[in-house]
Amino acid sequence: MRLVALLGVFAAVAALALGTSFVLFPTTHLEQVVVWQLRAPRLLLGAAAGACLGAAGLLLRTSLRNPLAVPELLGVSGGAAAAVGTCIAFGLSVPGAPLTPALVGAAVGGALTLLAVRGAKGPAAVLLVGAAVGSACQAVLLAATAMTDSREQGVLVRYLLGSLTGTTWSALVPVGVGLVVAVPALVAVLPRVRLLRLGDEEAMSAGLRPGRARLAALATASLLVAVVVAQAGPIAWVGFFAPALAERLGRSGVVAAASVGAVVVVGADVLARTVLYPIELPVGGLTAFAAVALGLLTARKRVRV
Amino acid sequence: MRIGGLGVLLVVACFAHISVGSTGAGLLALFGDDAGARMVVWELRAPRLLVGLCAGACLGLAGAILQAAVRNRLASPEITGVGSGAVLGAVAASTVGGLAAQPAAMAGAALVGGLVGGGLLWVVAGRSGDVAVRGVVVSAVLVGGTLLLLTAKPQLAGAVSRWLLGSLAGRTWEHLAPLWPVLVVALVVACGLAGVMDVLAVDDDHAHAVGLAVVPWRTAALVTAALATAGAVAAVGATAFVGLLAPHAARALVGPLHRRLLPTAALAGALSVVAADALGQVVGVPAGAVTALLGAGVLVVVARRTGGFG
Repeated sequence: MRLVALLGVFAAVAALALGTSFVLFPTTHLEQVVVWQLRAPRLLLGAAAGACLGAAGLLLRTSLRNPLAVPELLGVSGGAAAAVGTCIAFGLSVPGAPLTPALVGAAVGGALTLLAVRGAKGPAAVLLVGAAVGSACQAVLLAATAMTDSREQGVLVRYLLGSLTGTTWSALVPVGVGLVVAVPALVAVLPRVRLLRLGDEEAMSAGLRPGRARLAALATASLLVAVVVAQAGPIAWVGFFAPALAERLGRSGVVAAASVGAVVVVGADVLARTVLYPIELPVGGLTAFAAVALGLLTARKRVRV
Repeated sequence: MRIGGLGVLLVVACFAHISVGSTGAGLLALFGDDAGARMVVWELRAPRLLVGLCAGACLGLAGAILQAAVRNRLASPEITGVGSGAVLGAVAASTVGGLAAQPAAMAGAALVGGLVGGGLLWVVAGRSGDVAVRGVVVSAVLVGGTLLLLTAKPQLAGAVSRWLLGSLAGRTWEHLAPLWPVLVVALVVACGLAGVMDVLAVDDDHAHAVGLAVVPWRTAALVTAALATAGAVAAVGATAFVGLLAPHAARALVGPLHRRLLPTAALAGALSVVAADALGQVVGVPAGAVTALLGAGVLVVVARRTGGFG
């Protein structure tokens, strides 16, 4: 865990210092603007997004008892992405965009999944239902871009993969508001999730209704994901990556998953900005590939669902 | 009898498909005097219809083969990584390789991608039996890879989303040329393997008991499915969930014996793509959007009923 903290500090300093101009101690006015108006909000959004996704991923994998239960398979990020992408592709002006359509889309996608999931048989069915809703949302987004032949290719990349390009302080306000709601919900739902991990029968004998507890966990995770997707898109596979990595480090708590998530996103974003400079990769692309590597390493050894 | 009903539906869908469009020309225009209408039907609508028929048949066939080979009723090109791999191959060939104008090379690239996607699932799923969920994950990762290619050629956003979705817009005779041989080969091989697939679909013990070497036959079935998928994807793109819908419809019609199931699934696949494209042209969306939205509903129903291991 000390290693994670150390890496976090290192990544944060790198995120503030690296870029077109290397700035360690901002002295001139221009340098101060670059650090405080461009790099600092981006760093904060990355850290918040990673923490939310890590926590959401942990909630999902624990409550569905499947290491592959990830926010991408929940319909939430898909719904938000579809709503925002469609608005931009057709040039619709919605008040409060992109946040309003993202939140509405996330709520609709998540609600569709939750409705379709009710009464489904077992954890694997829940995941597949989420995947079905997710791919329907993805089809809507793809159809919107294909039909309009949109020049806004950044939209497709951002809302299918996730990217932190162009973050400002004003983008952080809605994230903060979302977190004020999401964090207490997370704290409230955690004890039930810990019981669910033992198995449905044990949870029932402890006086818990597994179906309801699972719904509460799904709803909380949806909220956490929606907060992130509205501003940065579904930064791909961090929700899978962070809890898995935290577990490998010997920690299975939510704080560990959230901190690993934050460090992963900030670190990946530094790499995405600098490796192929001046081309900026979407951060979601890097996290996706990191997840493939980890997935291939661990998937074969994992216990079956 | 029931196949007859399916055939009638298919003929109706074909007539509807060839009559839909901005001019009122229909099939009869081929024999009329109006050269403009004849050209519209012969050069634009006829190849589009035939490409849709062949691609749909390929996808339906691939889905039916995959469901037997990995013994999971949810298996289909988009849930096993074979379809997304094929899309990745085709998009890589057209964006990075610059092969968009050579349909045969596109089909080859799609085949390589499809085999890689299927192989990736084999590695990830191992012996766990959890093919459906892991396949969805493999598939999502491959779609992510396709989007990363987009960052190399950002101006192709529209084209890439048409590949990922599946669209019949602008398909001509040259797209049909590599597609129909693929369909014929896959159909002949699959029907030759029908008896083997009946055994594979039950369980390994049963296969051993009747003296069937499981691994080589299963590999042969998977390669056939990848071939059929690649042909369809290289021509029209992913066209999500046709490979899931068609075998389920076929099984409901003619039962589980592959001698009858495989051709019926091909017919059902052709019907769904042609009908989706006709509907899509009326509404103004690509065919893949129609199949993806309808198919997602079917996946929800099947996943709820089988719990993911059906």
